[in-house]
Amino acid sequence: MRINYFVAGGFVVLIFLVIIFVTTVLPASTFKPTATPAAHKYTPMELAGRNIYRREGCFYCHTQFVRYQDRESGEMVLAGDYMYETPHVLGTERTGPDLSNIGGKYADGWHRAHHDNPRKVKPGSIMPSYSYLTEKEKEQLIAYLQTLGAGRKMTSWVVPPQELQDEYEHVKAFVNVNSSAAANSGKGIFMQNCAQCHGMTGEGNGPVSATMIKKPANFTRPFYTQYSDAMWYYRVKEGVPGTRMPRWGKTLGREQMLYLVAFLKTLPKDTQTVQEEITSLKQLDNPVDLDDNYKYVDQAAERYGASRNEAFK
Amino acid sequence: MQRALSAIFSREPFSASRNFLITAIFWLVFGTSIGLIASMQFTAPDALAGVAQLSFGRLRPVHINAVLIGWLSMGYAACMFYIIPVLVGRKGIWSELLGNITMVAWNVMMVVGIFGLLNGDTEAREYAELAGTVQMGSTSIQILDWIVLVALLLLAVNAWMTVMTGAEKKWYVSIWYFLGALFWFPIIYIIGNRAFVQLEGLNDAITGWFYGHNILGMWFTVGGVGIMYYLLPKFTGNPLYSHTLSMIGFWTIGMFYAPTGTHHILQSPVPEWLKSVAVISSVFLLVPVLTVLTNFFMTMKGKWHTATEHIPLRFAIAGGIAYLLTCIQGPFQATRSINWYLHFSNWVVGHAHLALLATFSFFVFAATYYMIPKMTGRKMYSKRLAVWHFWLTLYGWIIMMLSLTIAGLVQAAGWHHGIPVDQWVIELEPYWIIRSISGVMIVLGQILFMFNVYKTVFSPEQCEELPHSPTGVVYV
Repeated sequence: MRINYFVAGGFVVLIFLVIIFVTTVLPASTFKPTATPAAHKYTPMELAGRNIYRREGCFYCHTQFVRYQDRESGEMVLAGDYMYETPHVLGTERTGPDLSNIGGKYADGWHRAHHDNPRKVKPGSIMPSYSYLTEKEKEQLIAYLQTLGAGRKMTSWVVPPQELQDEYEHVKAFVNVNSSAAANSGKGIFMQNCAQCHGMTGEGNGPVSATMIKKPANFTRPFYTQYSDAMWYYRVKEGVPGTRMPRWGKTLGREQMLYLVAFLKTLPKDTQTVQEEITSLKQLDNPVDLDDNYKYVDQAAERYGASRNEAFK
Repeated sequence: MQRALSAIFSREPFSASRNFLITAIFWLVFGTSIGLIASMQFTAPDALAGVAQLSFGRLRPVHINAVLIGWLSMGYAACMFYIIPVLVGRKGIWSELLGNITMVAWNVMMVVGIFGLLNGDTEAREYAELAGTVQMGSTSIQILDWIVLVALLLLAVNAWMTVMTGAEKKWYVSIWYFLGALFWFPIIYIIGNRAFVQLEGLNDAITGWFYGHNILGMWFTVGGVGIMYYLLPKFTGNPLYSHTLSMIGFWTIGMFYAPTGTHHILQSPVPEWLKSVAVISSVFLLVPVLTVLTNFFMTMKGKWHTATEHIPLRFAIAGGIAYLLTCIQGPFQATRSINWYLHFSNWVVGHAHLALLATFSFFVFAATYYMIPKMTGRKMYSKRLAVWHFWLTLYGWIIMMLSLTIAGLVQAAGWHHGIPVDQWVIELEPYWIIRSISGVMIVLGQILFMFNVYKTVFSPEQCEELPHSPTGVVYV
């Protein structure tokens, strides 16, 4: 009887040691990412700031990893970003925003005012006041915050979330959004579905807009020159949270949304000269480059294993 | 003074268990009150502004450590020191004096640790914050880590020696669970506090969550289930439904709980295979959970109606049902398709309270109402207070759970749509106010509980003699 207990007990110990090995020792010995530009070796000043960040428990409300679906938090993180982060401050719960990319977003003075009285610069914030930190500690903390994500280079702030970028890469083969044929198709869809709010010319002055507190977007603003094709697609498909703009992905088909993208791209902007406008409009009258269109059909066919004729059907 | 000292460093049977329980209940009231103060700062962030010790970032670890390391762990120690000797047929544990010394060390450690946390001395690792940093030249060591480890080892030694010197050589299933918990927890604790090595970056996070989940899985779950396996047959008078099922539950907890930690960082760039291991073993947790619950509920067969009169049984059943909810919720939250939406939100906070307040604390409440009359030989001071404690705590956690769950869904929608934080925070205020109200209910319940227990223990003249019921069950 006794010996059975020992055999069984030994088995538990063995299993447990194997599990410890697999889940802690194995990753620690095989998972060795290389440092990325965002990985940052802290100076003594910044390290002191990081210790204040840990001491005050900032990481209970602020995370430091941007996930695939986080749409307002900037660039996604990579494994190598965390080379010099010990102990980790990844965080578990997000009551405040993710701070992976906070460095350089605000001036030092803004941070100082924010730490002293958060609601002064951000009404509606529920962050505690950190006015009790000493002057030196405040400087150290700000020095640390300004390093976060400073190595990640943003090319544009107007980008769709990563998942929509990936989706766009996948669907763009179905329609050539640079073709006038697609833009003409998109014009019809725009007139049927969008013009009542955004107006016939996309100036955001359609008849329904009169009833709206948050006015529809005016596509002739120069701001929209920053929109990439994927960004247009994202806004059409997912709508704009907080406004009346619906998620057209629920009603329109994939090709229809791409036609809309093709049309929205051609809308003239305030800053464009008359000559540029004429040129872009003339582009719509140019005969379609058939070979160019076939290229896209071929790509789609290749991807889905269908012949060109089948793809046309 | 003399009397107090002799009660603390006592050698009489079950004194260690009693002392552990009495001090644990103090940490329960303290910990829940701190949690209440912390929760109020969500809706009144400027109320305590400017006081470093009362800022949210410092109160949160105090709350967590007071209720986990203070209340629950010490409550478990009390239950083990009562249940193990009874099961092996001994009068008291192997060394009551050693048990009492452990109790004193534990309380001193808690006081020093909490004082340190309030004043910014923290290890800043979730569930492992207690630090007690001591500077020795250029290196600093966290002295409390080692004290906790020593205290745990003393607990384990005492439990083992009690089992070894007991008359009964056939182990009831609870002993398996207790000895398992006391074997696993010290190992996990020392790994989780990374006393030996400095790991860089994400490896630190992997190890941190190995600990963070296993303190729940290998200590609170295993210990709590062990307590219930003892209490339910006692309360109902039924034999345990199936010994085989209970052993299957024991082995599978050991197999499937330990690797699940990485599900807390499922979307960080840690190795994909590790995430898969974590998700798969999280879902497999349904195996031990369902065996354990089948066993619980089948043991209850034919005795459900006794819960109307039997207060400890009422706590035990409520805890068992909460355990079912927790463990259905948990594995599904850990899958990638659900985790990506719910992670980082208040939903998870609700889940944590469901597990630790509604389940494991309820198990210890049940055990307390059962053990206190047995250990002191007195009837509980008041049945009405116990009933109030039950309903306040039950409704408290239900309201807290619902408000946090709804708040979590709103919050997750906010993150998902990329709405700036300060916009959706306003939407959450009603839920946070409700959460604070439920917190008031819970704290009030615990104060009644403390009053009831202390009144029973400390004022003998007011208590009636212990009634002997035929089933050996002491009704409160």
